[in-house]
Amino acid sequence: MMRAGAALLVVGLLGAPSADAQPPSPSASASPGANRDTSDGVRLPSEPLAFAGGHVTIGADVSASFGGSDAGFFNYTDYDHSALRTFRIDVSGAVNAGAHLALLAEIRTENVGEVVPYALYVRFRPWADRNFDIQAGRVPPTFGAFARRTYASDNPLIGYPLAYQYLTALRPDAMAATADEQLSKQSLGWLLRYSVGSSSIDHGVPLVSAFRWDTGVQAHTGSRNGLVNATASVTTGTLSNPLFHDDNSGQQLAGRVEVRPVAGLIVGTSAARGPFVSDALARVATDGEGRAEDFTQTAWGADLEYSRGYYLVRLESIVSAWRLPAVSAPFMDLPLHAVSTSVEGRYKLTPALYAAARLDHLGFSDLVGTQTTAPWDAPVTRLEIGGGYSIQRNLVMKVSVQRNTRDGGRLKRRATLGAAQLVYWF
Amino acid sequence: MHGRGVLALACLTCLACLTSLTWPVDAARNGSIRGRVDLRRAAPPVERRPGVSELGAAAARDVTDRFRSVVYLETAPRGAFETTEGGRAVMDQHNETFVPHVLAITTGTTVDFPNSDKFYHNVFSLSKAAKFDLGRYAAGRSRPVRFDRPGIVRVFCEIHSHMNAFILVFSHPFFAMTDSDGHYRIENVPPGAYNVVAWNEGTSSEPKPVVVPDGGIAELDFTLR
Repeated sequence: MMRAGAALLVVGLLGAPSADAQPPSPSASASPGANRDTSDGVRLPSEPLAFAGGHVTIGADVSASFGGSDAGFFNYTDYDHSALRTFRIDVSGAVNAGAHLALLAEIRTENVGEVVPYALYVRFRPWADRNFDIQAGRVPPTFGAFARRTYASDNPLIGYPLAYQYLTALRPDAMAATADEQLSKQSLGWLLRYSVGSSSIDHGVPLVSAFRWDTGVQAHTGSRNGLVNATASVTTGTLSNPLFHDDNSGQQLAGRVEVRPVAGLIVGTSAARGPFVSDALARVATDGEGRAEDFTQTAWGADLEYSRGYYLVRLESIVSAWRLPAVSAPFMDLPLHAVSTSVEGRYKLTPALYAAARLDHLGFSDLVGTQTTAPWDAPVTRLEIGGGYSIQRNLVMKVSVQRNTRDGGRLKRRATLGAAQLVYWF
Repeated sequence: MHGRGVLALACLTCLACLTSLTWPVDAARNGSIRGRVDLRRAAPPVERRPGVSELGAAAARDVTDRFRSVVYLETAPRGAFETTEGGRAVMDQHNETFVPHVLAITTGTTVDFPNSDKFYHNVFSLSKAAKFDLGRYAAGRSRPVRFDRPGIVRVFCEIHSHMNAFILVFSHPFFAMTDSDGHYRIENVPPGAYNVVAWNEGTSSEPKPVVVPDGGIAELDFTLR
């Protein structure tokens, strides 16, 4: 049923009426031998579809990525797909019911599979002339910078920053009993089973999930001059494991402050803390004595963006700490830490062509096992270089090459992966 | 003396012939075309994308003027192309809107794109008539583009996808923008028969024939959409 829905979505998009269907007047170039400009006469929508006098708007992002086989599972996401081999359709909509109230939603399907409600929330602005909004439902991520620009049209490359995509060897519903067991799971985040908690085989979690949004209430405000913006939220899940239905009794608190001291410069800092471990795992791991609220994910982030002329540079660093139950000796040194650092740049070479690169590292704290001391998951470094060419304003062809290196684990430790992506949006 | 007289007469005759080739003895007086473009339905404004990933509502922006049309001669009188002189025009960026939304210019005109907002804009076009990208620049700055090829140039902002504008580049001067009521007047048109077209937001009329009388005014109305 859901697959049929996804197929209908594809058909609907391809057959959508064009807001720019009428080719521009070819004879505006009213001279003998003049150039007849038809470059903008493409019949695909180039602008959001608008209904009811602009009160209802619908947009879409469609991307098709074709990449090499990722035997090392460097690019797998918590949708169980490689980010380099994904056909994704995002359809978003907004219903603006006056100056105070709006309903926003987004549905997504990957590889023409299940249609997932990625976002669904109400935005309430109590005072029409004040920059203060309350959003409730499945809301955009408060934490970090990249999580709100995961759309292919916003990402200059094809891969994602490791912090937001790479699956670590941690699960909210299952865990290792000992440090030795945890060390044996290095690099297996794409699919792993633990001895405590759920016995199913499942994937681990990234530091911050870019592919699922959390559910809760969010408040946002900003100064009139745009210098400072601040956001706070209370949500059901955690950064690693955003949820619709709570699996423990606690809530995550997250906050973000963003400063724009000069045009082109954005400096942000974020923090979040919430119960990570599910109630079921907490009970099993502590013989019923521990509470899920004690086993948290705490994260801090700092990000910076600067752009001017034809270049754009972004930096983002995230530190995350997970506090898990201590089950058996040799015990894990808790909390488990992970640190990610990402530097990204883009330069426009011509109006239609740009080059981009991202250097990314994800490191993990050490665990002392019986035989060895090593990071609790294998550190990963990724360099991705690529670029994009705008066939038209909202149709972009990207190509990139990734060099992935993993320092440890049982899986393939190095992989050079090429990929191409076609992105269309309106 | 007689011989000199014949020579002088021959010279005068030649001079008179040459002069008549360049400037007609009885020069035709230019006329004009005027009328009204009736828009049955204004083109809808380009809305913002739904902005689901935004942490709050976007600030209000100016409404674009979509009622102004451009009326132009489909073919220009002989010699019109030698008379175009590129001037200077301005397309401002104010409150996330290009002002004016439609600009009609002749080839050789340089358009300045000042940024009157507090934040960055990035003006660009991928149109065949003019491909350019002015990069990101802050408030108070302006960057120019010279338009040398006739055609329609769609202008966008890379940062604010709802910002868009049209620049119609003509290789002759026989065009006019309508006022907010749809009235137009194309001045200084040499007498003769022409085809005239009206354009609004990517929609153009069928060419309409008109005869401009010597020193007179031709009336021509259009209905679009």
